[in-house]
Amino acid sequence: MCGIAGILFKKPVSNQVLGRALADMMDGCQHRGPDSTGFALYENEVAGLRLRFLVDDDAAVERIRAALAEHGATIKAERREGSTLVVEVAYDGEIRPFAYAMEHAAKLVSIGTALDIIKDVGTSKDLDAVYGIGRINGSHGLGHVRLATESDVKPEAAHPFWATGFADVAIVHNGQITNYWKMRRRLEARGFEFRTDNDSELIAVYIADKMAQGVPLETALEQSVDDLDGTFSFLVSTKDGIGFAKDRLAAKPMVMYEDDSLVAIASEEVSLNRLFPGQPLSTTEPLPGTHQTWSRSI
Amino acid sequence: MVTIDLSTMPVREGNDALRAAAKRGEDIEILNPDARHHIGVGLIHPVTVRVKGSAGYFCAGLSHGARFEVESNVGWGVGDSMYAGSVVVGGNAGAIAGVALRGGEVVVKGNVGSRAGQVMKAGTLLVCGRASFLAGYMMYGGRIVILGDSGDRVGEDMSGGAIYVGGKVQSLGSDAKIVDMTPEEDADIRAFLKTYGVPFDGTFTKIVNAGTKLRYGVNEPISRPLPHPVFSEGDSYWNAKVAEDIHAKSLIGRYRIRGYGAAKPVPHFGDIAIKVDPSRIGAAGDPTKAVKLAMTLGERHGAKPLTLSMPVLIAPMSFGALSKSTKVALAMASRLSGIVENTGEGGMLPEQRKEAAQLIYQCLSGRLGWNIHDMLKADALEIYISQGAKPGLGGQLMAKKVTKELAAIRGIPEGIDLRSPSRHPDIMGADDLVIKVEEFREATGYAKPVSVKMGAGRVRDDIKIAYKDGFDFVQLDGLQGSTGAASTEVLENVGVPTLSALQEALDGLNEIGHDGSMPVVMMGGIKDGVDAVKALALGAGAVAMGTAALIAGGCISCMQCHVGNCVVGIATQDPEHEARYKTELQAQAIHRFLESVRWQIAAITQALGYSDFRQLSRKDLVALTPEAAAITGLPYDPDYRVVDEQLLTQVA
Ligand SMILES: Cc1cc2nc3c(=O)[nH]c(=O)nc-3n(C[C@H](O)[C@H](O)[C@H](O)COP(=O)(O)O)c2cc1C
Repeated sequence: MCGIAGILFKKPVSNQVLGRALADMMDGCQHRGPDSTGFALYENEVAGLRLRFLVDDDAAVERIRAALAEHGATIKAERREGSTLVVEVAYDGEIRPFAYAMEHAAKLVSIGTALDIIKDVGTSKDLDAVYGIGRINGSHGLGHVRLATESDVKPEAAHPFWATGFADVAIVHNGQITNYWKMRRRLEARGFEFRTDNDSELIAVYIADKMAQGVPLETALEQSVDDLDGTFSFLVSTKDGIGFAKDRLAAKPMVMYEDDSLVAIASEEVSLNRLFPGQPLSTTEPLPGTHQTWSRSI
Repeated sequence: MVTIDLSTMPVREGNDALRAAAKRGEDIEILNPDARHHIGVGLIHPVTVRVKGSAGYFCAGLSHGARFEVESNVGWGVGDSMYAGSVVVGGNAGAIAGVALRGGEVVVKGNVGSRAGQVMKAGTLLVCGRASFLAGYMMYGGRIVILGDSGDRVGEDMSGGAIYVGGKVQSLGSDAKIVDMTPEEDADIRAFLKTYGVPFDGTFTKIVNAGTKLRYGVNEPISRPLPHPVFSEGDSYWNAKVAEDIHAKSLIGRYRIRGYGAAKPVPHFGDIAIKVDPSRIGAAGDPTKAVKLAMTLGERHGAKPLTLSMPVLIAPMSFGALSKSTKVALAMASRLSGIVENTGEGGMLPEQRKEAAQLIYQCLSGRLGWNIHDMLKADALEIYISQGAKPGLGGQLMAKKVTKELAAIRGIPEGIDLRSPSRHPDIMGADDLVIKVEEFREATGYAKPVSVKMGAGRVRDDIKIAYKDGFDFVQLDGLQGSTGAASTEVLENVGVPTLSALQEALDGLNEIGHDGSMPVVMMGGIKDGVDAVKALALGAGAVAMGTAALIAGGCISCMQCHVGNCVVGIATQDPEHEARYKTELQAQAIHRFLESVRWQIAAITQALGYSDFRQLSRKDLVALTPEAAAITGLPYDPDYRVVDEQLLTQVA
């Protein structure tokens, strides 16, 4: 019940406009989901690891500080933004147990050396005003607008989701996975933890797990078309690039535009056209059951 | 020529300007369309519209006679339900290009997305590139010409029309087959290509319906039908109903189909009592004069609301399931009682429009008889998602009822066992639905309320979607709701009882902090004004009645509505049977019944000490069974059973 978008700038020079581009694209398809909006932005790398939490009160901030200290992470920088707390830490250990531990302290939205997920209740314009989305530079990212149907309108129910436990992997997804519980139990049996009952989180963990085992993103996406049942169009992003997969039923929309300097994918062409006002674009619709990836060429 | 620049105004304003120019007969050029939705929807004048760029969803949708030229791409549903005219798309089209096309020509120079030509009925869809998954899905007529490859499962469940593929036929859909084509057909297509300047030297493969699924194999025996009161009685294991069912299935070897409502006992309004002193009924004069019952429905977004003399509507019932005479009688009765009639599936009858003072026009998945002209004649528009008797399934109309006249109105082949699709081509989720609702509003100038009819499935979630997608009101139907034809298993076992559905809907709305602007019209087994008062007190904005109105108008509850031989001329298209139905007489009978409902609502409201039905509240109710208490959260108080019985004798 949503609209999704992704963009990747092929050349570093165009990095300037990442936040602006995604904010505009999501504004263009806000009609698909007025309740909440979110972005997964791959910014120019931070020195250590960046964590973004949703915090309700100062007690949560205290819990986060304590948990970080307990797990050997030193805070380099810390700031409150909207309903979130952003911390940059120095941390050398394993990510997954660290991430699970942090999640017990507060609602963790993302972890990454490049990835920053910013999501909240409200429209793209609202988020831009609070978080300055339009000023964020970077190489690639995803966007999501959501119409809440089954869960509440709360920041934590907004998208994108990160692949819980894996740094720098995020997902936006339009559709519904019907073998959700089967897939989830398989992953849980192998020790993965899930924070929500949301099928987007499942896809992200599923993909990230494959990649952690050395499977390239491209192959992971190809396998996802066979392994996942239901209707879906989703975009995955990693530190190095983005990719999409689309179900065989082709029930969910997706259009893409590509030229020498960028690739942009969205639920509707109206979002793509926001990048090039007044210009007719040569776009394509991915075929049912297909996938594709792009990586940064720095 | 008029130029409209969409970088300087919203589409709504642009469409207003476009319609005004078209009315004057001026051609139009649209600048900076930037893939915005709904460009040119509802245009009914034969002008040329040039879109300088890409258009979004439903470009030229619901139009009649205009010529559209889109320079670049279009989104989903180009030419939706178009009656005549043409659309030429220079680039690609998204999913469901030419959906529900009823005439005219849609030409896409590039590729099209999935389900091109879904439920189309007439006209031509030309795809110069390739098609995708399920091209021609459930098409009823017309032709699709694909110069490139067909995509997988081309012609899936088509029941009429033809698909011509110039490239590779990637795979055939179910019930589709390849046949030879005549030289005349070939020449005709090539001439068509020439008029649009499309070169093509290849050869075509023709695909049509294979005819294996158009009719059920074996008909059900019509043996000793059990009337509904007998059918629904008793709970012994091997009763007459069970035996009859086994006999029938042993003959046909499949699920059965019948009409009418569920017979399974579930907690219902009879399990709730009104905390009223029955002796106060009828104490003081005519309650219908003393109690305010009039209301409006549908003003949430500034449309002209429906006006009702009491919180009661006629439930949507299709012309098809019901005879024309019955639809006209319902329309007359609704007018006489100052309420609203609903077309149901299968289009608007001119006679029905004339007799009904107010008429809701229903749009279903098959888009059978759905068109811009009748939209403009309607007082409200309704998107049917499902109904209580068969949530999640499409309508069924058995061959006997698919007569020549009916097939013509619906735009389908005559004499097939018609199964409407279970879902709308363009509503795969709440996100698509919002764009659909907007299309209807755009096409009719935001003047008409738009409602949604839904059967009780996941009510708590669905009602939130309805609220957020901006419907003006909801028609909610519980498990007990009737039907013209459905599989018996689904009828009896799928769905949520009316009481629970209503409670879930109200809870769902409360959970999202609604502002009370979207009333819920409740239906499904509402027999009289007493049930109506209970529903209103629980929180329904109004109620609707189907079966009760039919019985008032002569229905004998034999449950054979699907067969088409209705002995009283209600559920039939057979002229001989229909001749038995005395329209004026039955209209009066339905009207008298509706007046009895009015009196009951007024009398009980007055006896409770109120002067307006809107003062009714949950405080006026108790639950008579633990189940009803659990469902509604009302206090459990079986002592009120006596009061309830007394009340029924007072108001019956
Ligand atoms: C003969 C018949 C035809 C129907 N056709 C439609 C229809 O076209 N569209 C629709 O929304 N509901 C249809 N329904 C369902 C009714 O609108 C309504 O939901 C149901 O009958 C309400 O329950 P009640 O009959 O117990 O009052 C039909 C019902 C009957 C009995």
